[in-house]
Amino acid sequence: MLEINDLKKIYGDRTVLDIDKLKMNKGETVVIVGPNGSGKSTLLKILSGVIAKSEGSFGFDGELYYLPQQSIPFRKSVRKNILFSAKDSTDKEQRCNELLKELQLMHLADKNAKGLSGGECQRLALGRILINKCDLLLLDEPSSAADIEGTEIIENAIKRYREETGCAILMTTHSPRQALNLADRIIMLREGRIVEEGRPEQLLSAPQTEWGRKFIGMWKID
Amino acid sequence: MNMDRELFQILGVTLRMSLFSTCISCLIGMPLGVLTGKGDFKGKGTIKKLTGTLMGLPPVVAGLIVYMLFSKNGPLGALGLLFTVEVMVVAQCILITPVVIGITESMTSINAKSISETAKGLNFSKRKTALLLLSENKQALLSVVLTAFGRSIAEVGAVSLVGGNIQWKTRVMTTAIMLETNKGNFSFALALGIVLLLISLIVNVLASVLVKEDKNA
Repeated sequence: MLEINDLKKIYGDRTVLDIDKLKMNKGETVVIVGPNGSGKSTLLKILSGVIAKSEGSFGFDGELYYLPQQSIPFRKSVRKNILFSAKDSTDKEQRCNELLKELQLMHLADKNAKGLSGGECQRLALGRILINKCDLLLLDEPSSAADIEGTEIIENAIKRYREETGCAILMTTHSPRQALNLADRIIMLREGRIVEEGRPEQLLSAPQTEWGRKFIGMWKID
Repeated sequence: MNMDRELFQILGVTLRMSLFSTCISCLIGMPLGVLTGKGDFKGKGTIKKLTGTLMGLPPVVAGLIVYMLFSKNGPLGALGLLFTVEVMVVAQCILITPVVIGITESMTSINAKSISETAKGLNFSKRKTALLLLSENKQALLSVVLTAFGRSIAEVGAVSLVGGNIQWKTRVMTTAIMLETNKGNFSFALALGIVLLLISLIVNVLASVLVKEDKNA
């Protein structure tokens, strides 16, 4: 589905991303965790084509959609934001209504999206992505501005979409709870390199490195 | 009566020149401004330096260059455009386009990267992304248009050089004010100045109505 080989991003004399190998299977959800500046967003930006890689290669099958951390709401109504992002199809109005209900935005459907709160904006941004079908979804901290209820709505929508489309998901988060809730596999990044990788229960019980043990030790799983 | 007819004729030439030069400058300058504000590419620094320099280009220098280009022995002399409204528009465009690029760049650079990233993530085509950038920056771009129009309608040095301030042909409000002041007709010059201010006021009111409608949409 997705294959990365010796992928690097270098700014001046600083290597911010250095991934030897990473493979993802069809339908798999991989969650990347790590401290600020560990290269999580840089990886997604390179894969989506927002920034160029410095070295190495990557490839994926099918169509990719990417949700950046700061997805801007367009100067339109919430409904029009979603419809504007949809590819032409006969059932897009119906799918838009379903998403508005699922993301609990129906009561704001005809309001200008510029007036939404941070959490509502993130739900809208996800709705704009989920109106289309894709094979690989890249999500950069999709619920960082959402409250507990908003986070649950977002996670449920991601799960439903994954089941319905069978797409693979590569996402980043700072929430251990979210990583454990959504991931088939968790990757820990530190200074641009993969330091731990495995199934959630495997990582929690037996981290391979001292840094991994410390990082997991700081997780407060609510 | 003849004075009234002449005033309307001057007003017509002024508006024709200002509107054409504003439109052309914005059509060239806005896409370039959005492009330089949007991202990093080779030559961006050069464009920015060139734009910054040309923003301070003295109007008489622009007028002189255009005059030399379009004079009988100049490379474009065969077109026979010197002392016409068309060549006044050319001079105005040379003056205004860098201003349009510069202001558009600084205004759109605030959100252009985020909009482009969002659009890229949604697999928008280049055309759809460009239209999105323009519509998301509608209000900022409207002030760019107003600035361009303001600069165009108030300009005197370049247009008097290349237009020649010819009665019933290339005389515009600013060159007429200058002429009347030199002749000692201060009251008429002042009246022309008030008309010029009124035009600016009408354009600004229209623009604020447009902005208000956009906010309510």
